Amino acid sequence: MATVKINGKEITTEDGTLILDAARQAGFEIPTFCYQARLSRLGSCRMCLVEIGGQKKLQPSCITPVLHGMEVFTENETVKSARSSMLEFLLANHPLDCPTCDKGGECELQDFVFKSGPRRSPFSEWKRRFHEKDEILSPIIVKNHNRCIHCERCARICDEVVGVSALGGIGRGAKTQETSFWNTTLDCDHCGNCIEVCPVGSFMSLPYRYKSRPWDLKEADTVCPYCATGCQITIGARNGEILRVRSKSATGINKETLCSRGRFGYHFMQSGKRLTKPMIKKGGKLIECSWDEALSAIKQRFGMGRKTAGIASARLTNEELFVFQKLVRDVFKTNNIDLDSRFANKWVTSAMVDICGFGEGGISIFDALKADTIFIIGSAISDENPITDYLIRTTASDKRKTLILAHPRRIKLNSSATISLKYKPANPGDVIKGIVNFIEKGKDKAEGDIDTAALRFKNASNITMFLGADILRLDNGVDVLKNIAVLKTLLKKAGKNINCLPLFDRCNQRGAINMGIHPLFLPGFKKTEEEGMDCGEILSAAKNGEIESLYVLGEDIVSMYPDAGFAKDAVSKVKFLVVQDTFLTETAKMADVVLPGATYAEKDGTFTNQEGRVQRVRKIISCVGDSKDDLSILDNIGGFGYKSAKDVFDDIKEEVPSYKDILFDALNNAGVLVNGQGAGVMSHESGVRSQRQEAIDDSEYPFQIITGNHLFHSGRLSQKAHVLVKLLAEPFVEISDEDAKELGLSDKEVVIVKSKEYEAALKLRMVKGSQKGVAFIPENFDSVSVNLFYKKGKGIPKVKIIKQ
Amino acid sequence: MLSTQAIENIKKAIAKYPRKKSASMDALMIAQKECGHLTEDILLEIAHLLEMPPVQLNQVAAFYTMYNKRPVGKYHIQVCTNISCSLLGSEHIFQFFSKMLGIKKGETTSDKKFTLSEVECLGSCGTAPMMQINDDYYENLTEAKIEEILKTLK
Ligand code: SF4
Ligand code: SF4
Ligand code: SF4
Ligand code: FES
Ligand code: FES
Repeated sequence: MATVKINGKEITTEDGTLILDAARQAGFEIPTFCYQARLSRLGSCRMCLVEIGGQKKLQPSCITPVLHGMEVFTENETVKSARSSMLEFLLANHPLDCPTCDKGGECELQDFVFKSGPRRSPFSEWKRRFHEKDEILSPIIVKNHNRCIHCERCARICDEVVGVSALGGIGRGAKTQETSFWNTTLDCDHCGNCIEVCPVGSFMSLPYRYKSRPWDLKEADTVCPYCATGCQITIGARNGEILRVRSKSATGINKETLCSRGRFGYHFMQSGKRLTKPMIKKGGKLIECSWDEALSAIKQRFGMGRKTAGIASARLTNEELFVFQKLVRDVFKTNNIDLDSRFANKWVTSAMVDICGFGEGGISIFDALKADTIFIIGSAISDENPITDYLIRTTASDKRKTLILAHPRRIKLNSSATISLKYKPANPGDVIKGIVNFIEKGKDKAEGDIDTAALRFKNASNITMFLGADILRLDNGVDVLKNIAVLKTLLKKAGKNINCLPLFDRCNQRGAINMGIHPLFLPGFKKTEEEGMDCGEILSAAKNGEIESLYVLGEDIVSMYPDAGFAKDAVSKVKFLVVQDTFLTETAKMADVVLPGATYAEKDGTFTNQEGRVQRVRKIISCVGDSKDDLSILDNIGGFGYKSAKDVFDDIKEEVPSYKDILFDALNNAGVLVNGQGAGVMSHESGVRSQRQEAIDDSEYPFQIITGNHLFHSGRLSQKAHVLVKLLAEPFVEISDEDAKELGLSDKEVVIVKSKEYEAALKLRMVKGSQKGVAFIPENFDSVSVNLFYKKGKGIPKVKIIKQ
Repeated sequence: MLSTQAIENIKKAIAKYPRKKSASMDALMIAQKECGHLTEDILLEIAHLLEMPPVQLNQVAAFYTMYNKRPVGKYHIQVCTNISCSLLGSEHIFQFFSKMLGIKKGETTSDKKFTLSEVECLGSCGTAPMMQINDDYYENLTEAKIEEILKTLK
């Protein structure tokens, strides 16, 4: 520990603390430009100069650690005048075109100059000028080089956090331009983090360009509606129109970073294609009707008991899902209720709940990342959970840590991995079995990557495993999870501390499970008296005419179910179909009653992310047209009398023990991790049934399909967000470069992907280092739906790829 | 495209360092010796060999004046105009060259013989004003000396 005096105030901090941080702890703000807590130290802008007693020259506080007995001055005249001079130098070349700069009003340079800058400039020389007109650097970035102050935040965040390394300072001295490789259009992750961290108006958002002044925006902090990382976002709206999403520094687990979906995926809400009025089917046609007519039709015609079912989306809030299960169970009197997400069968979800210890409470990702060994399996995490990927990348830059990444595709995070393991989509279990085998046999000489990984496990003391949503989609997912459970037990026995976290692709998947959207358990994992049907079983039953009434909440099962043909057929046999959604989806088109619901920006409530962190979703705009928030619709049908989300939350606290201590009104940007709920979690060990082994390789159809979300998309929702569509408008098929070479195919050429039952033409992408015999097709597009390749009961589709 | 010989040489340079990208400067020089100047494609090729982000390689190339980003003539005249040289009249030296060759800063004579560049300190301040032509230094420059030097450049 070191005790130092800052501006006369004594403070004791840990050795090695930066003067900057110590000063902040003592309550003194020091202006900074190049310093960013999560980035490497640069110490170049000299904004943070302070005086240290006994030293003649001022020192940059962002790279100078405290020493015991040090005396520091951050506010005296010498420091103030140095600060003013630094700003004077920056302004020597700054255009000062604040009136036409989008950053005006929230610009760090503007603020610092206002606070501590010079009031006039002695420079009479010409200012540097790179261009007259701003440059469009990508579909989301507009760049003004003239305004850059060379703090290098943009290049460092892109390199160190995002892992793309697309930017750098090109040139020398004042003539340096922070730009892409050849100053040409960026082909990058389009995350916009360079825009967010730029302190001035040099990197700017193209979609938000000249839309508003910051002080004219009404802002609300809420949670990203895409993946289950659960990033904190701040939505800005003006006159009821959403104009941007930004992220605040040091806020949420994402700490100012977002991915392209989170930052630019908001346009779907005001896309003009939203459902605005309830509809009812008359004479085979859906026609607009009044709420009264729609709701009374449901109340009269929706059945009760075994022949009814409900399927919900994991993008709804905890409160809505809680009320939905109440409606299905208490009013429709059935346990036939399930989530859409990746259509896991009920045993896989249960096994996931077990192995990740949902009943034991949430695990903070930051605690999980303290592990010395991190293992990820079953998730193309760089695409599925980009910000979790960022957090792991920064953690893994500590070379004392081991990162083992197992996935069929080569993804961005592979370049940070200590060991990369590959497997065929149907058999992630093989990797685990290999590791278990090595450890059980007490081997200590590694032959091959799996052994090396096993050796790392053996030598680890603190392990975190991330289990991806790919596993949930496998028919043999239960077996894979069983294998993982064996490994977990083995490592536990060897005295290792081990945590398991899921990687989910829907924002409230964990919350939905907590709320009992499951055929086997009620809210709080209480076992149901009677076993209900899962999504697949509901559809099979429907196909046999055994489901008469089906309520689909917020999901397009007809498009998203793997075996889209089967789903469509099944849904068409349902006598009374109610779809509550925000768009007229393929499923909604088939409905007897369509109810227009609300998007996340139009309602209050909570999401629970994959760590088990409960975070507030806040309303910022009102519902479009006559649409209503989903909670009030469900409440009306069920006649429960809930007045607000908070009202429901009080009930959730009663029924779900792990939410008991959470105060709805006190939820801030940090969220709250759910508690362990003690007794009462049903264990599925005995109930878990293994389904069926995946078929073996077929030499005529040598590729196994793997699907999932593309980095720019999520489910089918993102297709309605036009900026995301600009980033990627069509699906493609991705295979390894080895396979492409063998087949004589080249990058970007259109190929035919053909299974026994279905074929489609897709653009080819080749990736160096992916598993051979694997074809990835994103699941996000209606134009070529990968789900048409799936055939129910046949597991992973096998295809061949041929030249067109 | 780099020749197989150049690629061989770059690989040898890589072997000298613990990290591949440490060989950036060597590799750029090898390529420049072969191609005269560095282009987008060459940089991409080298970045690939060094397994580094292309933008970071370009940062190196763009920083140093010794790497040519444009075609240069047979003789690349690089006049230092940094502080010491400037105090001893480098501006004048530069103008003199400019007049003699009939070209401005960064330009090449129409016979592709001379390119005239302005560069930062070449670390030879003690013998300012000075310049570099291709790989050689010429120091304590005067107009007369320059006329002599130009005569020797065929
Ligand atoms: S948008 Fe993201 S990936 Fe692209 S340059 Fe900026 S930080 Fe890098
Ligand atoms: S563009 Fe912005 S973030 Fe990048 S160096 Fe310039 S001022 Fe800093
Ligand atoms: S990582 Fe997930 S939660 Fe975060 S911004 Fe991206 S999609 Fe949203
Ligand atoms: S913030 Fe300390 S030198 Fe830039
Ligand atoms: S200033 Fe010209 S060599 Fe140093």
